[in-house]
Amino acid sequence: MMPTEAQDTAIISMNNIVKSYQMADETFYALKDVSLSIEENDYVAIIGPSGSGKSTLMNILGCLDAPCSGTYFLGEQAVASLSEVELANLRNQSVGFIFQSFNLLPRASALENVMQPLVYRFIAVKERKRLAMEALERVGLGNKIHHLPNQLSGGQRQRVAIARALVTKPKILLGDEPTGNLDSQTTLEIMALFDELHAEGHTVVLITHEPEIADHCHRVIRLKDGCIESDVRRQAHA
Amino acid sequence: MLNSPSGFAMPKSLHAVWEGTRAALHSIRAHAMRSMLTTLGIIIGVAAVIAVVAIMQGLSSSITQQLDDLGSDMVTIRAYTTQEDQLLGFNKTLSYDDFLVLKSKVEGVEDMTATMQPFSFGSTVSYGRNSVQTQIIGTDSSYQNVVRIYPEYGRFLSESDDLRRRRVAFVGTSVLKKLNMSENSVGEFISLNGEWFRVIGIAETQGSIFGFDQDNYIITPFSTMRSLSGDQVTRNIDIMFRPSDPAKLPEVQEQISQILRKRHNLEKDDADDFEFHSAEKTKKQFDSVTQSVTLVAGGVVGISLLVGGIGVMNIMLVSVTERTREIGTVKALGATPQFIMIQFLIEALVLSLFGGIIGLILGYGVASMLTMVMPNMPSALVPLWAITLALGFTTAIGVIFGLAPAMKAARLNPIDALRYE
Repeated sequence: MMPTEAQDTAIISMNNIVKSYQMADETFYALKDVSLSIEENDYVAIIGPSGSGKSTLMNILGCLDAPCSGTYFLGEQAVASLSEVELANLRNQSVGFIFQSFNLLPRASALENVMQPLVYRFIAVKERKRLAMEALERVGLGNKIHHLPNQLSGGQRQRVAIARALVTKPKILLGDEPTGNLDSQTTLEIMALFDELHAEGHTVVLITHEPEIADHCHRVIRLKDGCIESDVRRQAHA
Repeated sequence: MLNSPSGFAMPKSLHAVWEGTRAALHSIRAHAMRSMLTTLGIIIGVAAVIAVVAIMQGLSSSITQQLDDLGSDMVTIRAYTTQEDQLLGFNKTLSYDDFLVLKSKVEGVEDMTATMQPFSFGSTVSYGRNSVQTQIIGTDSSYQNVVRIYPEYGRFLSESDDLRRRRVAFVGTSVLKKLNMSENSVGEFISLNGEWFRVIGIAETQGSIFGFDQDNYIITPFSTMRSLSGDQVTRNIDIMFRPSDPAKLPEVQEQISQILRKRHNLEKDDADDFEFHSAEKTKKQFDSVTQSVTLVAGGVVGISLLVGGIGVMNIMLVSVTERTREIGTVKALGATPQFIMIQFLIEALVLSLFGGIIGLILGYGVASMLTMVMPNMPSALVPLWAITLALGFTTAIGVIFGLAPAMKAARLNPIDALRYE
């Protein structure tokens, strides 16, 4: 029931983040003065109704967008003032995205998809392959590496996407409705995978509107109208 | 990161180019049909220019070679009458005396000969029941040295043939064929306009230039022709000579000009009433024709390549829109705008260069086929400059027309791109 105070182990710390958009003649505030910190090996769900600012918060967390004001540290890196190129490099180094609709490259095999983020680092193809294989084996798809996305089931595609997020060894795994396009059985499997990854020490942040997903997490941040309505820490049910 | 590949550390831009090339090839392969259609404009443009250039160059090199064989050093002097004088009824001439004076006085000449074409004498030659039209030339033994015609059988005219006005003939191979005579017909008699001539030699076959038969002639002694055809034709003759040193041709021509002007009583301001013709001159004229045809073809092709380039740009723009989500995804994964720009630029470059190479092969194939099908055509020839130019031009087209789509892709906002349906 109490907000996090442990700043020393914080991987993410946001202070007084404001994000607004200029509509026709009025200013729309998507985020109004949001402060939050996420520690290493946190397992966080960010929930809230649509229009609450979830997506905007995710974009800023994932370094896709810059806030209008406030400070944001990802690790030791101050994000707010970075250029486009620096943001791209930071995303590559520190953020592992997992999207609702998987966003795999359609004409690339599972292996090539997982290798993709390593293309933007200075890593030789051989090493890329090795790391990608490792990640694919981790998500249980070691036998499907040459399949194209359209030859895989929804759950398998999301596993490929998770492997792609894992392969860069990012500071946080950032899931945007990661089970939104999956049936209930597959959702359970994917959530079990997230549970495992958390147990292995990864920092997981999931944006969702499904309470069952949030139930898996150890901390639930509820947004409403661009503000944090509640930030609850609890023991997950196994 | 244990075995961090420091050995593979490339400069960032080179790395991006390498990865961009991989990605571009991947994408082109994935859309093979569309890529092919996109480059069609460029393929056709390049093929057209290469075909035209190949045919023109083949023609030009073959003509040059044939003219060289003929002896580009050989110069003919002919009487020249202005149109004004022709209307007034004057005809300038070169006389046999002009020839004799030149031959005795001009220095730096390997040999000189006089020729006439006795048109009034007719040009029909017959053997048995066959008869054929041919070119009859009256000349002397020097003709062989100047024109460089050599006998395959028998001998050329001798000095005594001319002195004694012998009725003998040196015959080109085409005449033999047309008259159904055997290959070695030395000693046979043929009839020129009812007068009998003994065949003393058969010339080596020359072949044809531009489809003009070079072996359809009969050479007879100058004096024999003069006696047979009367005074009229000998009034105007052609004089041919070969300078001993081609580089000194201008000086030789100057000597000849001075002598002829004096003999023809020309005033200082009067124009020459004779002119020099040489194969060199013909070659130059021909070269300028080839050059302008090549230039015009180049212009047309430049336009078609431009159109092809616009085609590439169009498809690339479509492709960027189509792949907006993918671009958003790779941006989220950490692709920098520069990286995406390079990738799309290379894709455009590869497409157009690919078109250039296929066009090159296709154009050469078309030219080779045409030259095989058409009679008397020399084989096609693609000079290195044409290849360089075609590939250079298509590269430039790829970069120029790839720039706009590549910039569009690089500038996409990742958030919007990820959400794009």
